[in-house]
Amino acid sequence: MSLIHIENLNKHFKVLNRREGLSGAFRDLFSGDYKTVEAVSGISFDIEAGEIVGYIGPNGAGKSTTIKMMTGILQPTSGVIEVNGLVPYYNRIRQAQTMGVVFGQRTQLWWDLPVIESFKILREIYKVDEKTFKQQMEMFNDLVGLKALHMQQVRTLSLGQRMLCDIAASFLHNPKVVFLDEPTIGLDISVKAKIRSLIKRLNTEHKTTIILTTHDLGDVEALCTRIIIIDKGKILYDGDIKKVNALFGAYRTLKVQIDNFNESTLQTLQEKIVNHFGVDKNLTVAQTEEFWTDITFDQALTPLSDVLNFVMKNFSVLDVRIVEISMENVVQKVYDGALG
Amino acid sequence: MRKYLPLIRASYMVSLVYRFGFLFSIIGNIVYLGVAYYLWKSIYQGRDVLNGLTFNETFLYVGLGSAIFILLKTYADWIIHFEIQQGTIATYLTKPLDFQLYSLFTNFGAVLMNLTAITVPTAVVMIFVFKVQVTSGIGLWLFPISLIFAFLISFSIDFFVGLISFYSESVWGVTATKDIIVTVLSGGLIPLQFFPEAMQKILYWLPFQAVYHTPLMMITKADLGWGTFLPMLLLQIAWAIILLIASRLFYNQAIKVIRISGG
Repeated sequence: MSLIHIENLNKHFKVLNRREGLSGAFRDLFSGDYKTVEAVSGISFDIEAGEIVGYIGPNGAGKSTTIKMMTGILQPTSGVIEVNGLVPYYNRIRQAQTMGVVFGQRTQLWWDLPVIESFKILREIYKVDEKTFKQQMEMFNDLVGLKALHMQQVRTLSLGQRMLCDIAASFLHNPKVVFLDEPTIGLDISVKAKIRSLIKRLNTEHKTTIILTTHDLGDVEALCTRIIIIDKGKILYDGDIKKVNALFGAYRTLKVQIDNFNESTLQTLQEKIVNHFGVDKNLTVAQTEEFWTDITFDQALTPLSDVLNFVMKNFSVLDVRIVEISMENVVQKVYDGALG
Repeated sequence: MRKYLPLIRASYMVSLVYRFGFLFSIIGNIVYLGVAYYLWKSIYQGRDVLNGLTFNETFLYVGLGSAIFILLKTYADWIIHFEIQQGTIATYLTKPLDFQLYSLFTNFGAVLMNLTAITVPTAVVMIFVFKVQVTSGIGLWLFPISLIFAFLISFSIDFFVGLISFYSESVWGVTATKDIIVTVLSGGLIPLQFFPEAMQKILYWLPFQAVYHTPLMMITKADLGWGTFLPMLLLQIAWAIILLIASRLFYNQAIKVIRISGG
């Protein structure tokens, strides 16, 4: 039997239709004008013990809502959800004993106390015995050098250090499943790499199942074999990461700043690119931030140097940046049928 | 229950981090004692007994009242409010902890800190600087027991108010109103004996007097005996149980709001 079983899960929120301005705010006080938001609608999946699953999607896709249902904080509107054979929201406290959770945006550590105190408190909350506690602390020390941080107040830690401690803390009681909600948010590349290797090691150490939500495709690539893409509350793709990688791994976005940019520039650029490279090469032009024009293309079909040369030759370019494809772009391409 | 015990230690240590705040609380409270001393002194001018209380008893009542006020001031309502508003409550809900018990034990740690850092020094100042006298009697033994139930009642009221955040974005007004109601109607500011007779009768049955008046009577009129104290203590215990259960029921209802309509 699978560790997590979700079948046709729905979560609908009733949200007040808010009106504008002060008078609107007053009228809202007595308003019965609600609309239903379908945060999660009809998702199904099974997760086996020991898997690391990347649960990804753009903002507001329903990722956190699903996580909150799996951890028993939220009650589903309808559908089946079982973790470890139990229904989370009926068995929250019992379930929490076998779970670890990290919310990237907030800490579970005691803000004003030295790091080691939080671990000691968690040890008693989860009733971890002395021997296991020692072993776990040794392991955390080997992995991230936790001992050096023991006496430091949590609030004085850097974001990266705090995240390493938070993740370690969520593994302290040897949970069966750990939910990591945006563990790399706001961190720089080198710290991200550290966090990824920590997660990988912790997964292999005790065969802990990990569910990772993230914005960063790099996290998923580095850690997961399986990926679930969700958007607007529905699952768009659930399967091997290799397929996604094969499709998007080669995608790059070339960002250029064009001198004397005006409304017609975008259109001219688009036309010229299509004329030069052809429609079938699938190059897209868009503007996502001020001054910057994005050209997204598949390196397997069009070499980067060709695109760069072409743009440089035809336009007066002030600045250039090359980035990997963004989450939003992947979702858009999946919508367009890229994964068939 | 054992897993909640480290929470007491943790919040005691957290309070210790903010030790400078206590220094100001102590100074502020000594100033208050001075003001109360001269205020009541002038009220008592030329009279020995007012409403059945001597000056010494009134000052003991009012002074210790302020010490208990600080003792129970743990800002539980505010802390719960912020935990709900900022969503940190999710980190407790994903732990094998009951939120009410978590809050109760965390608060108890803060109360212990208040006790050692403010309440005890205030009592020392009252005895050695203002020379108040305490009569001995059964009440002195009942006082600490009564304080524990006063804490449970005060915590339940705070917890209740904090939970309103599930429904309303702001609890400022509710908290301010609660603070005033509790301090005035409980005898925390003026001894209940100074209220009109009819009002005293009503207040006797409300939970607020059980927070201040009950323990304060035990220390100012320590020699009154079981006949007076037993009903008071039983009433206090009844209120503690009623309010703990009521706030529990409210919690179960409120938690459904996030469970059903999202955090």
